[in-house]
Amino acid sequence: MQFDDNVAHYWRFFLSGTMTTLWISWLALMLGGAIGAIIAHMRLSRVGWLRAVAIVYTEFFRSIPPLMLFFFCYYGISYALGLNLNPFTSATLALTLTASSLMAEVVRAGIESVGRGQWLAAISAGMTPLQVFRYVIWPQALRVCLPPATGVYISTLKDSSVASVIGYIELTRSGLLIRETTGSSFDVFLIIATIYFVINYGLSLCGGALERRFRIVH
Amino acid sequence: MSTEPAARPPILRIEKLVKKFSERLILDQVDLAVQPGEVVVLLGPSGTGKSTLLRCINGLEEIQGGQVFFENRPVVANTKNVIDVRKHIGMIFQSFNLYPHLTALGNVMLAPMKVLKESRAEVEARARELFRKVRLEHRADAYPGQLSGGEQQRVAIARALAMNPSLLLFDEPTSALDPETVGDVLDVMEDLAREGRTMIVVTHEIGFARHVGDRIVFMDEGRIVEQGPPEVIIDAPVEERTRKFFGSILRE
Repeated sequence: MQFDDNVAHYWRFFLSGTMTTLWISWLALMLGGAIGAIIAHMRLSRVGWLRAVAIVYTEFFRSIPPLMLFFFCYYGISYALGLNLNPFTSATLALTLTASSLMAEVVRAGIESVGRGQWLAAISAGMTPLQVFRYVIWPQALRVCLPPATGVYISTLKDSSVASVIGYIELTRSGLLIRETTGSSFDVFLIIATIYFVINYGLSLCGGALERRFRIVH
Repeated sequence: MSTEPAARPPILRIEKLVKKFSERLILDQVDLAVQPGEVVVLLGPSGTGKSTLLRCINGLEEIQGGQVFFENRPVVANTKNVIDVRKHIGMIFQSFNLYPHLTALGNVMLAPMKVLKESRAEVEARARELFRKVRLEHRADAYPGQLSGGEQQRVAIARALAMNPSLLLFDEPTSALDPETVGDVLDVMEDLAREGRTMIVVTHEIGFARHVGDRIVFMDEGRIVEQGPPEVIIDAPVEERTRKFFGSILRE
């Protein structure tokens, strides 16, 4: 088997696809993390209807395959609401919906991992509810959230490849276009797969390093 | 204090307090007043509501009847006012409940800096002083996970003192400790009593109650059975239930 030199000429295209993939999945993770954190706190609220909304949101969006969400966010919203979203907005929205439903569960588990005694100590010291969260609960929950959050980022980054079906030119779509031009399927897919692997393995290492950095001394 | 009991207003006044968990009655019409500087020791069998009573005093528990007044202000759970009341009441827990992500010093400094908004320098000076008081000046930079139970509990006491509280609540402070570290914690508590701190202590340490307590309150089944000076309540109680309790404990 011979590597097609032609494919290598498209390196700029691979690079821009990679940057796009990193950007959109990072954006989805940040938005998903923020929305997920809000959903998690709703889920832990004493107010019944807030809990109900959170449960429905989480269960709904984490049960639907990303492909369906991409179709819905691109074609569905346009069809149902007459709102034409561009591929970038649709893809970001679809990824954020999935990521936020996964992050909601990660954050909830993190907060629930902090023992009742921590709440009692902080409340007894005269802290307001916000201070209790900020200085005592969140710093401890964050440590528990890090490993699963890394997992969510990796899966969000992989899910972003599905955005190729709505014409968004991220890494997978870039590869498909290069393949059409060069006709070298195997080489192109090998390069793309390698790039995904390197990124995700790098993320995994970063997650591990962060985890060690914030480890609580026992 | 016993010569003129009505001269000073009580720091804490509990009137006809009723606490239920769903339908189960935990505290039944409890009346208790505590004078400034007094050390009150709550004794009684397990599950008689002593710890619950402490949690009602700083509004950690909602109550179903009666009233609690701290320095003449009503303590009502889940109100804005109760957050302010808690700044003046220190609480020490059976399981220490130190913040594991902060050093011992960080634990002691957190609330004074964030709740009382005092400057770091001011708080750190006071915290270092408190570490000397609880005899842990060499452990200030350790994390809770690196400390023994007795050391953690002394840090927890320093953490409570850092807020300059006018009342200290101890919820079985030595029950989770190895026997050899119990003495260190009780020594610190005795020092505090001698300084004239107002303390309410739930414990099973009869020796501490006898030597340090100004008043023993004996509770059973959610009620105060009788109260008075240690030599009366422990050695010559009037009530049959009190006699049975101390009889069985002191025989051991």
